[in-house]
Formats: sequence, structure tokens, C-alpha cells
Amino acid sequence: MKKYIITGLISLTAIFSSCDDQLFQTPFQSIDQSLALNSDANVKSVLIGAYGEMRGTPLYGGRLQLFSEMLGANSEVRWEGTFNQPREMFNKQIFVNNSFVEGTWAAAYRAINISNNVLSALDVVNESDRARVEGEALFIRGSMYFELIKLYAQPWSSGNTTTNLGVPLILTPTRAITEENFVSRNTVAEVYQQILDDLNRAESLLPAVNSFLARNYVAAGQLSRVYLQMERFADARDAANRAINAATTNGKSLIPVYMNAFNTDNDSNEDLFTIQVNTQDPANDMFTFYSLPEFGARGGDVSIQPVHIDQYDLLDNRRSQFFFSAGEERTAKWRDQFKNVKVMRLAELYLTRAEANLRESTSVGATPLADVNRIRARVGLPPLLTVSVSQILRERKLELAHEGHSIHDIRRTRGTVTEGSTSYQFNDPRMVFPIPQREMDANPNLVQNQGYN
Amino acid sequence: MRKALLFVIALFTLSLSIEVTAQQRQVSGTVISSEDNEPLPGVNILIKGTTRGVISDLDGRYSIQADANETLVFSFVGFVSKEFIVGNRSNINITLDPDAKTLGEVVVVGYGSQTKGDLTGNIASVKGADLATIPVPNFQEALQGRMAGVFVESSSGKLGEGVKIRVRGTTSISGGNDPLYVIDGVPMTSSGGIGLYNPLSDINFNDVESFEVLKDASAAAIYGARAANGVVLITTKSGVKGKTKFNVGIQRGVSSPTRLREFLNAEEFVELMRESGDNVGDLAFVESRLDRYSGWSDWRTNETDTDWQKEAFNPDAGTTNVNFSASGGDEKTRFFFSGAYDNQTGILIRNDFERISGRLNLDHKVTERFTLGANFGLSRTQNNRLADDNQFNNPIQLVALAPITPIRDLNGQLYDRPTATYYNNLIDSENAQWLNTSFRNITNIFGEYKIREDLKFRSEFGVDIFNQNEEQFFGSRTNLGLSTNGFGRSRWTRIFNYNTNNYFTYNKVFAEKHNFEAVAGMSFQKSDQYFTFVEGQEFPLDELRTLASAAEITGGSSSVTNFTFLSYFSRINYKYADKYLATFSARVDGSSRFGDNNKYGFFPAASVGWLVSEESFLKGNSKLSLLKVRGSYGLTGNAEIGNFDHLGLFGSSSYALIPGLRPSQIPNPNLTWEKTAQLDLGIEFALFNDRITGELDFYDKNTTDLLLNVPVPATSGFNIQRQNIGRMQNYGFEVVLNSVNVAKQNFTWNTSFNFARNINRVRELAPGQESIPPASSRFLNGVFIGQSIGVFYGPAYAGVDPANGDALYYSNAEKTETTNNYNDAERMFVGDPNPRFFGGLTNSFTIGNFDLSILFQGVFGNDIYDGGGGFFAANGDWFDNSTLDQMNRWQNPGDITDVPQARLGECNGCNASSRYISDGSYLRLRTMTLGYSIPKATLERFKVSSMRVFFTGQNLLTFTKYKGWDPEVNADYLASNVFQGNDFYSAPQAKTFSLGINVGF
Repeated sequence: MKKYIITGLISLTAIFSSCDDQLFQTPFQSIDQSLALNSDANVKSVLIGAYGEMRGTPLYGGRLQLFSEMLGANSEVRWEGTFNQPREMFNKQIFVNNSFVEGTWAAAYRAINISNNVLSALDVVNESDRARVEGEALFIRGSMYFELIKLYAQPWSSGNTTTNLGVPLILTPTRAITEENFVSRNTVAEVYQQILDDLNRAESLLPAVNSFLARNYVAAGQLSRVYLQMERFADARDAANRAINAATTNGKSLIPVYMNAFNTDNDSNEDLFTIQVNTQDPANDMFTFYSLPEFGARGGDVSIQPVHIDQYDLLDNRRSQFFFSAGEERTAKWRDQFKNVKVMRLAELYLTRAEANLRESTSVGATPLADVNRIRARVGLPPLLTVSVSQILRERKLELAHEGHSIHDIRRTRGTVTEGSTSYQFNDPRMVFPIPQREMDANPNLVQNQGYN
Repeated sequence: MRKALLFVIALFTLSLSIEVTAQQRQVSGTVISSEDNEPLPGVNILIKGTTRGVISDLDGRYSIQADANETLVFSFVGFVSKEFIVGNRSNINITLDPDAKTLGEVVVVGYGSQTKGDLTGNIASVKGADLATIPVPNFQEALQGRMAGVFVESSSGKLGEGVKIRVRGTTSISGGNDPLYVIDGVPMTSSGGIGLYNPLSDINFNDVESFEVLKDASAAAIYGARAANGVVLITTKSGVKGKTKFNVGIQRGVSSPTRLREFLNAEEFVELMRESGDNVGDLAFVESRLDRYSGWSDWRTNETDTDWQKEAFNPDAGTTNVNFSASGGDEKTRFFFSGAYDNQTGILIRNDFERISGRLNLDHKVTERFTLGANFGLSRTQNNRLADDNQFNNPIQLVALAPITPIRDLNGQLYDRPTATYYNNLIDSENAQWLNTSFRNITNIFGEYKIREDLKFRSEFGVDIFNQNEEQFFGSRTNLGLSTNGFGRSRWTRIFNYNTNNYFTYNKVFAEKHNFEAVAGMSFQKSDQYFTFVEGQEFPLDELRTLASAAEITGGSSSVTNFTFLSYFSRINYKYADKYLATFSARVDGSSRFGDNNKYGFFPAASVGWLVSEESFLKGNSKLSLLKVRGSYGLTGNAEIGNFDHLGLFGSSSYALIPGLRPSQIPNPNLTWEKTAQLDLGIEFALFNDRITGELDFYDKNTTDLLLNVPVPATSGFNIQRQNIGRMQNYGFEVVLNSVNVAKQNFTWNTSFNFARNINRVRELAPGQESIPPASSRFLNGVFIGQSIGVFYGPAYAGVDPANGDALYYSNAEKTETTNNYNDAERMFVGDPNPRFFGGLTNSFTIGNFDLSILFQGVFGNDIYDGGGGFFAANGDWFDNSTLDQMNRWQNPGDITDVPQARLGECNGCNASSRYISDGSYLRLRTMTLGYSIPKATLERFKVSSMRVFFTGQNLLTFTKYKGWDPEVNADYLASNVFQGNDFYSAPQAKTFSLGINVGF
């Protein structure tokens, strides 16, 4: 019998010894991390991956703008949708487990990690492209930290920037989970310094022409926003001026009809930076929540209140953005599906330069009056003869309304938000996001924001 | 026993040689039942090997002509047959014992079969015949309540979706918890279908001879790395030698939901919403909304009062089953052939299920030593599918619409937003299509060669080909196709899973007392899955629904994934003197799913048994006819994780049509199996001549090296890492009791009872980690050390402040302080979705030609979280229609109620908390069958051998305190190891009344 068993086993072994190789399978849709950063082409692909992350709905794909508008609603717009997450922001009663708050936090840090991966592998990038690749990665990282610090920490204008907690700064790629990943929060000042470092270097490295991806004037425009938050008006003015000069030299200009600046398939002349949306990659949460079913969106979750519309002069062409549907006034800025998400328009930088010039009593690039009237002329309003900071801020509010600037302008100008009978000061802790509960649970080294336990 | 047999054979031989010339003589006597010592009428007395026979009369008496060398066979349904050699006797009185069918029953085990008496492991077994007429689409639901320790739950009343089965609890937090399904030796593809399709629905369970669930380590360890969640062995029917037997069955039924909820009517809705608006100073806004929602009608006069819930259900739901089989064969070749058509029209609109299946099982003896065979099964399943529970086009979500909204406008068109509060998914019924078709071929061929009398070799090769296609079209009026002139999607997947088993079986008795059986062999399995989809929009007409008509193709993808297992296994059964039993088994498993440092795992198990009743001091004792004690201990594994979880990966991520890459997974080269060490101690017994039989088992399963998605700080760029960390324990007991209560000729009554208690405890997580807190703001399931998996953790609702109508939560663990601020609420354990007990009780009766079987099944001690409560039980927080109980809202200071003041948009109590938890225990009349067999005498005229007409009812009665639709629920889009016991607009189960007929000829 032994004979049979041995013969059988030998033949079996012979037949199936090749099976052992079958235990080593490789995936078809992913590649090993050791291969992902080993060539010029691969690193550039990873850079596109960082844009892919930044493009998602939790970030510039719509929610960053939505959060700002809901926090700064000020009785001028109203959340009427069924989603609790934006409603909590609108109500200024945000729960620590708000999934949008959690999603944006995680997505921003994913984009940062991808940027860090690119920055760690610059030496394999072709020398001719290295500066651009580095600049784009730094732009993305700096922008992400800027968006995080604006939402998850007290604003710069609250002061105490060296003691107020910002967000953790991560500047190296994650290859394994170790003790070092259990980070603590840096201060507001430290985070702002990092943002300035990243964006300044990005501006210096980036070219002026780089399709719809980061360009030097986009980095400069982003810097002007950072400096405005920090109330460093001279720097904001210079950054905006640099952005305007580089952009206009490269063919950017205000387009003649205001509403033609919105709902565009491709970047318009006025767009400095947008998120590219197409039918393959359709997500745009501003469209989803602001538009209506007949355009393919949800039920019209955001309505515009008369108190807002009444602020526009009757001659103001910007009034034409409003239309009545489903029982409420709506804005058409986000009406159509599959259109690019506007992140930065040239008009903003004119208004930033005007405000900063006026505050600094300078006329770098143009006089404040000229910049403001440029904006007014386009929408059919008569030119101003003199201009004050409050007039510029009002113009800015109406020009950039419903585009994600609301709460950030209120914060830096120490304004208030009034909802119904309740007013919230610019630094009200209820308008600062909590550190997501999931993150608090996963990392005991984090300290929660004031007002959340 | 062996001696007795030898004696009989000797006697037989002797009588044969001596009395060859003997004369036939008259033999008579009385047949008596051992249970009541009363005469048994109707007993068949047949002379063995002939067709000569008689039947005992009303006094149990018989009389027959027989030779001395002939053998009389006494047989009667429900009793153990007895044989008696005539010899020189003329009077033979015989006593028949009721048949409890325990020891002699053959049970299928891994790579073989055993008699139940020789088992040292724990295996639950159900005959396919017991399930044959249950009107459900898959065998899993039919198994509900029939096996101790096997928990079955179908997620909702939607047809074709997944069913959760847990054998002795949940062992894994992040890995799979479903058992391994093996059909005729082929490990089946049981997941990976498109959407939530359940690939096990492709099996026609009319073809199944038996289901065996291997529960303890001794029984399951031979399936090694995939056995920790138990193994379900499915054996299909095979042919029986003899005249070809045909069987035809037809069954039709009508179905309706088990329960409905009560929602507000138009008048109540208007009252609540106006109050809700008024309370926040926004009555004008509410009234403008009421104007909008009431369309052409006037809400002030309750002109419209729509019952939207009713619209979600199909009044014409029902089932149809037609099946045909033929079986037979000769000495060399046997066959079983079947065909079946099953059709179920769901209780929800737009939902149905149709299966056409065929089977041919053949085996052929080439020579005395060599047998060949094949089991060939083919089916096509078509399933008109529904959206997940959380989608607007899930029919149940219609309940959110306002009762003041007319269904149609004055032109007869269905109202959509803005008149409807949300998407009116009745539009899907007119303007959409979602058809899922799956083709399934499970085929197994085998050859068995008897090398020697005591040694054979068997080789099996099987394939399981799962081919599924989903065609979706949403027309220009649906929410998905509205802005794009329609949206279409076609998805295809093919899973090709092949497997080979090759093993020796050695069986020998040494020195009469040492009974030895050994199995040793290997198996290899590979599964390849291909997936492709394409989607498009802009259709010229709603009638043109395939993507050929889409002007714009918007998306498409294809992907491939695979896994392999290479395994070596062995089992040795040893029995000494028919009293002492021992089994050792082991498997070495290698898999592509694991890290380079841990490709192979070793899974041994050992068990012993002692047939105490075979010892001389008990032998022959009629009060205790069987007593067996057994114990087993062994190691099994769980390999149900992603195919490439051990690698550090970058995946694709495009932006603006430019291809890109991004990190997708953190590596873990040490990743390996989850290990479950299980101890099982059991007693089997039979009392009073097997009138009462039973099994008691205690088990303790300890799972270590949990495959855990450990949460890592998201600041790292990752949310989780798959690690082998942590420990989970499941322990409990199982009771099985069967009794023959009455066994008379015209009346029998048998009872079968099973009951299980499982305690699940998370023992360890990652170092320093105490919990995996609830991962969703809307649901409460979390994982905590010392608690059951998926326990509900969150704020405890403290009712309503009588002074101002604020929703209150407890702000401290002692529940002495309350707060109206949700963020200040103390989070605590507020419920447990895991049942404390579950079981089933079957009573079967035969009364003359009638048979009746009643199965009650119950689940006790679990809680359900009603996730839709935040919308429809939120005291008019928004314009979703509310359940009737919301009318008990607080209105005036001093009101004592559980429902807070209605405040539009202020979420007064609408957040996730214990407010939406309730007891989910239920007891259900799961299956009731009443049959009538037409007497044989009547049938003979029609050349029919058997005919039975029957009624089968499913889910006829449900007793529960649960306030929602149905307590058997697990919201489909959420269902996972941790997320369990949640209801989210989930459909109730179907209640079915059916009538059928079965004819054999």
C-alpha cells in the first residue's frame, strides 16, 4: 500500500508543484509603492493624483465654498436641504461627528501626503520640469493648509496666533504608521508661516503658462488671500498686483458680461483657477446643493433671501443671476451641471488690490478707485468718484457672493454673522469647526477646539 | 453488534443449507408498538426478496405463507424496520420501535461522510426535502430557525439581496464573517456580485439532498484558513437505482408585507408643520412650502390625502414555482435530472426575481473499482433590482413625501420636485429599468478508484462560473436622468473559480476492534474576477434604453482581480470497540492574499468521543438508549479580506482627463490569517427507546490576530491600516431536542427544538486602543473592548423637558444630569444589536393522510436602531412626513411626553441617540405547511404513485415590540460586521400564502 501512496503523492506533487507560484499574485489596478515614485513620468502622475484629491467634493470640488457660505449665511441665504451636515454649519451648531467636517479634514491631509510624496522624489524628475513640479506640489500643500487653518482654528484676526492652536503640520510622506504619525497641533502662527513659505516658493518656481494647473499668478493670488487673512495689506496688495500683472500679460481679463463668467465648460478669460469638471468626473457640490432638479441637482437646498438681493442696485447686472424656482429665489452662478468650479476669478484680485492699496494709502498697479470702477463698469454701475474701505468691501461682497468667500471676509474684517435673532462675532467658537471626533479618537495627542468636548 | 450480525448470517447460511426442501407454512402473529404496547395496524409484512406481503389488521395481527429459510420484513412509517427469519416458528410476535433516526444517519463531512454516531465534532444537518416548498428565493432564508447556533437574517424584503449567516457568532471586526460555502466539493463564489446581489440566490434548493453546517474546529479545521466562520456543505441529490421516478410540483402564492407603519394624514401633517414653523417664528415660510407641496390642491381643506406608503408596495406580489425531476438508474449508472422555474414578484414595486435552473447528476461504475461522475448545474436568474435603502429611488422612501401632495398633476403626470418634497420615485416605475441577470454554472466531475479494498483515491475538478450583467436605464424624467436626457449603465462581471481536490481515503478494521479511517490529499483553488462597465447619457427617446443610443458615453472601466489557495489536508478517524472515538485533522493553507512573510498557515484540530451507552453498565438500557460525550479543540482561520491588502499600493487617480496616481494603501508584509481556537464540549443522548434525543454543546471560540482596519490619524494621509491585531471571543451553548410525542398509525406528532446563546466580546484591539467609535454621525454602532461587536454607543436620550419642550440627553454616565445640548451629552452604551438568544421550534404532525408542520423561529434580546427616525420621527423637524407617534409632541409647559417640541430646522432631538433604539426581539410563525396525500388506492387508477396537495405559509405571524416595519432588518447599504441592527427605510419581510401540488409517477 505504501507503494501506492508514495506513487500517488509523487505524481500529485509533480502536477501541483507549479501551484506554489500561483500564491504570488500582483494587483491589476494598483502598483507597488516602491515603483510609484521611481521615474520622471511616475512622479508627474503622482502630482496629478494630488490635483485629483484637491479636486474632490470635500475640497475645492464644492464643499470648501459651501462651508464658507453656510457659516457666513447671515440671513441672506438659507439652508433648506435635508442634509444635516451643512445645516449644522448654517445653524452654527456643529456636531463633533459631522461627516462633512471629517471628510474635508481627511481629504486635505491626503492631498498634503501626496504633495509630500512628490516633494520627496524631485530628484528623479527631469531637470527641465523640476521647478514646475515642485512649485505645483508646494502650491497644493500650501493651499490645503490654508483651507484647513481657516476652518479648524480661530482666525488670525483673533490674535494670540502663537498660542492659539492651528492644525498639525506634516511635511514628509507617510510610508508606514509609526509613533511619529501621532502628531500634535501646531500654532496658528506656525501654520501660517508654513503656508507663506510654500506659496512664496511655489510662486517663484511656477511658470506663467501651465494649462489650467497651478501657475505663478495662481500662487500669487492665493498668497494675496493669505495676507488678507493676516491683515498684512501691503503684502496682500503686492501679491495681488503680481497676480494681476502676470495673469493679464498672459491673456486674462474681465469678460464683458458678468454672468458669462459662470457655468463655463472651459476656463474663461477671467478664471485664474478652477476645478475642471466634465461628464467623466462630474462632481461639483456647489452645483449639487445650489441648483435644482431640472438641472440635475438636488431639490434646491440653498435659497437666496430677499434681504440679500435687495443689496444690489437696480441697475446692477449682477441681479440677473437670481431666478425664482421651486418657491424661492436662487442664484444661477452654479446652475448647470458638468461646469467648472470657480476657485479664483480675476475680479477678486482687483478688489483685493483696491482694498489693500486704500488701507495702505498707495496706488500700486492702479488706484483703488480705478480698480473698483473697473468692477462696477462691467456690471453696468456708474463709476464712483471717491471710495472708502467699506464701499470696497460691499462691492467685494456682491461681486464674489455665493462663491465661498463669505465667512472668510467676515472673519478678517471682524464682522458679525446674524441669523434670525442671534449674532455671532467673527471669532465665535461656534463658527470654528471641531477637530473631527474620529480624529480625536484615533490620535490622543490632539486637543479639541473650544466649545466641543 | 458485530457478533449478532455474524450470528444472523451464520443462522441464515445454516437454514439455507439445511432446509432447502422445506415446505411453505402459515406464519402468524401480532405487531406491537413499543411506545404504548398497543397493536400496530397497517404494518407491511413482506418476505424479503419477493413481492409477497400482507398488512397487519386493526388488531395488529397478520398471517402469511412463508418458507422456513425466508425472512420477514416488518416495516411501518415512523418505526425502525425489523427482520425476522421464519425458521421453524409458526407464530412470530414482534415489537417495533419508533424511529428517531440518530445513530445510523449519514452525515456529510469535509472530503467524505460519516455516520452520525461516529462523529466527534459538531455538525448541524438539514435535509433538503424539509425546505423544498418554502417560498423564498434562496436556501439561506429557508434555513432560518432550523439549526442550533446558525443565525440567519435577511436584510429586508427586497428580493435577491444578501442574507447574513453567522455560525456561532461574529469572529472578525474587519474581515469577512460569512461561512465558507462548498457545493459538491467546490468552494462557491458567495460574494463579489454587482450591487448587493446575492450569488447564492442562483441555487435551486429543490435539488439539494442535504445541508451540513460544520460548526466546531474538529469538523471544520479540514477547511483550514477559511473555516473560522463555519462551513456550509451543500450536497445535491443523486439518482437511486430502480425504476425511473418522476416528480412534478407546482406551487403558487400571494405575498404582502409583514407589517406597515402609521404615518400622518394630510390634516395631521399640516397641523404639525404649521406648529413647527410657528414655534420658530417662521409660519409664513411653512405655509409657502405647504402651498408648494400641495400642487393643484388646497392643503387648507385637506383636498389631497395621499397614503404614500401604500404606493411603495405592490398589491399583486406573489410566488410561482414549477419543478420537475426524474431519477433512477441501474447497477452501473445512476442519474438525477431536474428542472425548475421560480418566480417571485416582490412586495415592493419594481422588484421581482425569476430563476430557471436545471441539473444533471450522473455517476457511472466503469468497473468494480472505478467510478466516474459529474454534477452539472446551470441556472439563469433575472432580478429587477431596487436602489439601496438610502437612495431616493428606494420605494420605501416615498413615505417621506407629504400627504398633501397629489400623486399626479392635472395632466396626469406624476408630480416631482419642487411639488414633491423629494424625488417621487414612482417616476422610476414608468421611466426606468434595472435588470440584473446572472448565469451560473457549477459543475464538478470526479473519478474514484479503489486501489485496494481499503484504499481509494478520489480526484475532483470543479468550476463555479458566475456571470452577471446589470442593465440600468433611468429615463429623462427620473432623478438620475433628468438633466441629461436619461442615464444608462451596463455592468458585467465574470468570476471564474476553479478548484481541484485530490485525496486518498483509507479504511480498515484491525483486530476487529480498531476501526481506522484516514483521508489525505491536496486542493488548489483559483478565482479570477473580471469587471467591466460603461455608462452614458443623452438618449434621443426614453424608449431607446441601451447605450447604443446614448449620445454621450460618460464613463467606463474594467478591472481584474484574483486570489489563489493551495492546500494540503488530512484527517484520521479512529474508533476502538465501537465505544471510543478520536479524530485528528489538519490543513496547511497557502494563499495569495497574505504577506510574503506569512504565506502559509497550519490548522490542526483534535477531538475525542466516548459512547458511554455502549459500555456494559448501560448497554441495553431502554431509558438511556444513547449517551455520548465528546470534546474537540482546534485552530481554524479566516482569510476573508481584500486580495491585496498586504501590499503598499498606489492606485490611479485622474484629474481633468489626465492620468494620475496616488497612494491607496499602507503596506503590511506581515499580514496573515485570523486564527480562531475553538473548544467544543458536547453531550448527545437518547431517552426512552430514542423517543427523546438531544444534543447539548458548549463552545468557546477565541479569535486572535484579528484582521483589523486599525484607524490611524488621518493626518498621515490614510484612514486605516489592515493589521493582525486584537482578539475577540464568542462563547455560548446550543441545545437541540427532538421528541416523538405520539407515534400511532393514524397520528404522529414530532417536536424538534433548537436554541442557542452566543456571547460575543471584543477582548483586545490595537495597543492602547480602547475602541473603534461610531464611524457615522447618523448611526451608533461601534467597537469597544469588553462589549459585543457593533454595540450602540452614543448619547442617551432623556426625554423632553416638561418646562420648554427641549429634547434632553443625559450629561453624565450615572444618568442623573441632563442637558439640552447634544454636544454636551455623555456618550455611553445604549443598546446591543447582537441577539442574546435565538432558536426554532418545529412541530410536525401526521393525521391520517394529512401532514402539518409548524416552525416558530425567534430572536431575542437584540436592539434595533431606526436610522430613518431622524427624518420621520423628528417632531416635524423638516417637511418629511412623520410617523403618527410624533403627534404626541410637547406643546405646552407641563406636557409630559417623549416627543420634543416641533421646531422647524432646529433639530430638537433629531440627532442620533437612544431615542431611535428599540427592542428588536421577535417570535415569528416562520413556516407552516399543511398537506394532504391522496390515498394510494385512489391513485393507482391514474398510474400515479403519489400525490400531495399542500398549503405553505411563510412569515404568517410576527410578535414583536419593534415599532418599525419589521424587526428582521439590516439596512442593506450599511450592513457590515460593525453596522448591524440598523433600519433605514428598509422594506419589511414578505408574508406569503401559497398552495401547491406534487405528483410522483
